[in-house]
Amino acid sequence: MMTRRDMLQKTALGFGSVALTSMLHAENPLAARRPHLRPRAKRVIFLFMKGGPAHMDTFEYKPLLQRDHGKPLPFAKPKVTFAATGNLLASPWKFKKYGQCGHQVSELFPNVARHVDDICFLHGAHGTNPAHGGALLKLHTGADNFVRPSMGAWVSYGLGTENANLPAFVTICPTLAHGGVNNWGSAFLPAHYAGTPIGNASIKAKDAKVHHIKNPKWTPGQQRAQLDFLENLNRDQLGGVPNPVLESRINSFELAFRMQTAMPEIQDIRGETDATRKLYGLDNAVTEDFGRQCLMARRFAERGVRFIQVTHSDSKVQWDQHGNLRKGHTEKASEVDKPIAGLLHDLKARGLLDDTLVVWSGEFGRTPTVQGSGMDGRDHNPWGFTMWLAGAGVKGGYSHGATDDYGFYAEQNKMHIHDVHATLLHLLGIDHEKLTHRHAGRDFRLTDVSGNVAKEILA
Amino acid sequence: MKMMISILVFLLADTVVPAAEKGHDHWAFQPVKKPSLPLVKNQAWVKTPIDQFILARLEKAGLQPAPAAAPRDLQRRIHYALTGLPPAPNSKIVNRKSEIENLLATPQYGERWARHWLDVVRYADSNGLDENAAHANAWRYRDYVVTSFNADKPYDQFLIEQIAGDLLPAKDEARRREQRIATGFLSLGPKVLAEPDKVKMEMDIIDEQIDTLGKALLGLTLGCARCHDHKFDPIPTADYYALAGIFKSTKTMDSLKTIAKWHEHSFATPEEKKLKEKYDALIAAQKKVVAAFTAKANQQLLVELKLKKLPDAPEKKYSKANQTELVKLNATLKRLEADVFVLPGAMGVEDGNATNVPIFVRGDHERPGEIQPRHFPRALSDGKPIDGKVSGRLELAKWIANRNNPLTARVMVNRVWRWHFGRGLVATTDNFGKLGAKPSHPELLDWLAAWFMENGWSVKKLNELILNSATFQMSSTPNAAALKIDPTNLLHSRAPLRRMEAEPLRDSLLHISGQLDLKVGGTIWTFENFKLVFNHTSEDATTYGSNRRAIYLPVIRNHVYDLFELFDFPDPGTVNGNRADTTIAPQALFLMNSPLVLRTCATMAKQLLAEKKLTNAQRAEWLYTKVFNRKPTAKESENAVKFVNEFCQERQASWQALCQALVSSNEFLYLK
Repeated sequence: MMTRRDMLQKTALGFGSVALTSMLHAENPLAARRPHLRPRAKRVIFLFMKGGPAHMDTFEYKPLLQRDHGKPLPFAKPKVTFAATGNLLASPWKFKKYGQCGHQVSELFPNVARHVDDICFLHGAHGTNPAHGGALLKLHTGADNFVRPSMGAWVSYGLGTENANLPAFVTICPTLAHGGVNNWGSAFLPAHYAGTPIGNASIKAKDAKVHHIKNPKWTPGQQRAQLDFLENLNRDQLGGVPNPVLESRINSFELAFRMQTAMPEIQDIRGETDATRKLYGLDNAVTEDFGRQCLMARRFAERGVRFIQVTHSDSKVQWDQHGNLRKGHTEKASEVDKPIAGLLHDLKARGLLDDTLVVWSGEFGRTPTVQGSGMDGRDHNPWGFTMWLAGAGVKGGYSHGATDDYGFYAEQNKMHIHDVHATLLHLLGIDHEKLTHRHAGRDFRLTDVSGNVAKEILA
Repeated sequence: MKMMISILVFLLADTVVPAAEKGHDHWAFQPVKKPSLPLVKNQAWVKTPIDQFILARLEKAGLQPAPAAAPRDLQRRIHYALTGLPPAPNSKIVNRKSEIENLLATPQYGERWARHWLDVVRYADSNGLDENAAHANAWRYRDYVVTSFNADKPYDQFLIEQIAGDLLPAKDEARRREQRIATGFLSLGPKVLAEPDKVKMEMDIIDEQIDTLGKALLGLTLGCARCHDHKFDPIPTADYYALAGIFKSTKTMDSLKTIAKWHEHSFATPEEKKLKEKYDALIAAQKKVVAAFTAKANQQLLVELKLKKLPDAPEKKYSKANQTELVKLNATLKRLEADVFVLPGAMGVEDGNATNVPIFVRGDHERPGEIQPRHFPRALSDGKPIDGKVSGRLELAKWIANRNNPLTARVMVNRVWRWHFGRGLVATTDNFGKLGAKPSHPELLDWLAAWFMENGWSVKKLNELILNSATFQMSSTPNAAALKIDPTNLLHSRAPLRRMEAEPLRDSLLHISGQLDLKVGGTIWTFENFKLVFNHTSEDATTYGSNRRAIYLPVIRNHVYDLFELFDFPDPGTVNGNRADTTIAPQALFLMNSPLVLRTCATMAKQLLAEKKLTNAQRAEWLYTKVFNRKPTAKESENAVKFVNEFCQERQASWQALCQALVSSNEFLYLK
């Protein structure tokens, strides 16, 4: 005879949730759902570069900026900026052509550059808010002055999870500043869809854990005995009268118990080969931390987690170089370049890049005009910047859109954050206008009342 | 796309009647009329008029109400409803009426009900949004709410104080202070404090105030009319900007410069201010002394050691004499800093320059349209402009807290109903507009609203009425007919089964283990006002280890205390009168592994074993009584003792494990 525990293990119940109706007719909010359209990607790995890397110093080469260094910007700056900036500042880094497509990448990203033929650059990306907090919230939730569900939450709401023992949405070492939890929260969507944080930016990746995942006192055997006693207690109290609410509470303990094993197993990378560790830069103190985050992301992707965010953020100022651009960007890029290239390589080698979409972005780019007297800083720039996508469903070795000659404003094939969201959802098989949730009498969407899918970039 | 939506809305809308006139006939905008009581067959069941309305509907559906709840279940239900705490172990309910009366008179009542209100007014101790600055003085507003519920302040007066307390006459300084603290309601919202566009920042803050005021007090989504005429309710943008003028004429912010600062009422006496200045000057002077000494000592060090550059932590290499001197100087500075006090203040608003604002086309402040004189929404008032010399806030307050306003009383009685039954008579507690839910019992809603106003807007009396009703006192066990005809309990054929909310759960754990500190009021959170609770380091300086009641724990936007977050505490940045009730595995992880639960159960096990003379069966009884307020059955006792004997070698650990199982069980977590 099948025991109840066996049955639970065989039923596709989600991590976050437990069926609210009776067990056998479980309507699990996290059960995998069929998308609206043919999905090109099954999951997303979002590599978030907190602080705002400068596009003209990394992935969008601007010859006129190099030529006109020190001259004034030949057109008006935005009326409202975060800080005052002066004349044009040429990129201190050299650019080189890479791959079949010949895309130019600066010497900050020599490793990622080798993958340009798998990358689709969005050079016409733009947002609206020039402050970190507003820009983070806009990027993650589509709104900067209201509390709205995050894109990961929308994706789990739309598609559910493919692994019964894991959350649909995890966020590895997220920043607690500038919107904090709201950047992975579910807002008015049910709590099941919120991201599960693994550590935070102030914690080293190797020490990052899901909250309360480990019991400091009982052995697994003792805890099993305790949960069995608890279950009997609960069953006796039910007195044979079926009650879906109380039943689902009972089940939630079983799921939690299973998750205690599943989660640490993913984070335990002892089984990875030396070659893989090296690929992600785990053998080097500079790249070890972000490398581990990227490797964990792959392990989550392999196990069917739908939305995986990896945040490059630490206890310092991250990519936010109002001054010290040369030193800061060199340092930051050296921390992520190898791990990102390693991730792309590894995903491809394992065939995962076919159904995994990798997204790389900061909350904004930086101005081509100089900030500060040292000729070594750039201000925030939400008016035009670069994001890139790689993998499932997008054209590789392709550039979509461009900023103006100097890199200040998005000019060609502009993609507002709403358009980026619409496109991401499209790649996952979701029609962004149909993914709605009724709250306080109104239907809400990730893209509010905007959003156009950039059809040109679809492979 | 945008165009398509507008066309769609246009087609859906009645094209003959302009949007502003449309929807005036919506039920919620009609005056409250007290209906007569419906006739019922089973008159014996009826204890209050509420029951008559409920029973009439049940009888019409061919249903009978569930039998009365078991006394122990009812006792727990009543205690949690009024105080958020369990009844004393071994206590029994003797007289329901007087038990309810007594509980309404405890200070814990005000704490429980203040917390409900704080959900509605998006109370928080930090700003959240982009720059998470500390609201270190918000607690004075929280205490004001606790005090108001305990004093049973009439709800209309409570609202007037929160909107315009600073403009009311006051008989003494204490009242004046209380009324100004009340205006914290308007100031507590999340603000984009680093918004570089200052006009936008100001309009966003005003928008948040209008949105909160509308949803919290009127159940109206007024904020929708910022960019376009409300698509479903009769609120044109003209009405929105007429209200915006009232808040534009109100001073909410002291500075818009990044990072912007909100206005605070100062309660410092001139003497306190002087003393504070003196201290500040002393500290500044001492800092200079320390700096000068350090510079001198560093210089000496360079000469002594013949160095060009200072080593790391140079003070460690100073001469003995210099080291001693530096320690002394720093100690003086520390003492001064420890002595310094914070001047008492509270978040709140006052009148600014009276002015009207134009309609901003599509909400864009760079596209001003026609100037709007300040007035109240036309669908609910005569729309007459208010006196141009005042902000209009006091007038607004009096228009809302008014017996003629069809929404105010309805919205509040519905909230109270929701907090008792888990679902409002109008399910969308914060939206009474066209898109909100229709009332399940419209006559009852109106009867309650009328009764509430007749009884001096007394929330205590309303609570008393509801708790004494047969409806409230039913069992939560459904019968077969009820499950079939009323599966979701819309008709109230039984009492709802509800999980404890986050705060009662946490307070109960501390309470049954004898740890809960029942001190009322004040702040336990010492954080510098305006300082960021989170910056780029992501380090969390806030702790939640206090044994005071949960309402006194800091509410940090963007990073709410994990117990709160897990157990459906609402997002503290938005109005929420309708908390979720989810069952998710991380809640189980919390009960299984969190330090709070482990600590609580260890404490109880220790107390238990300190009673040396008890047999194991008596120990099991002790534990059951503490946790469930009942004795175990013989079988339960036997199982418990067996579990303890088999769990592990260490006795205290075994009892701790048993205790943890009990507090994780449904009997503890749910109110039947």
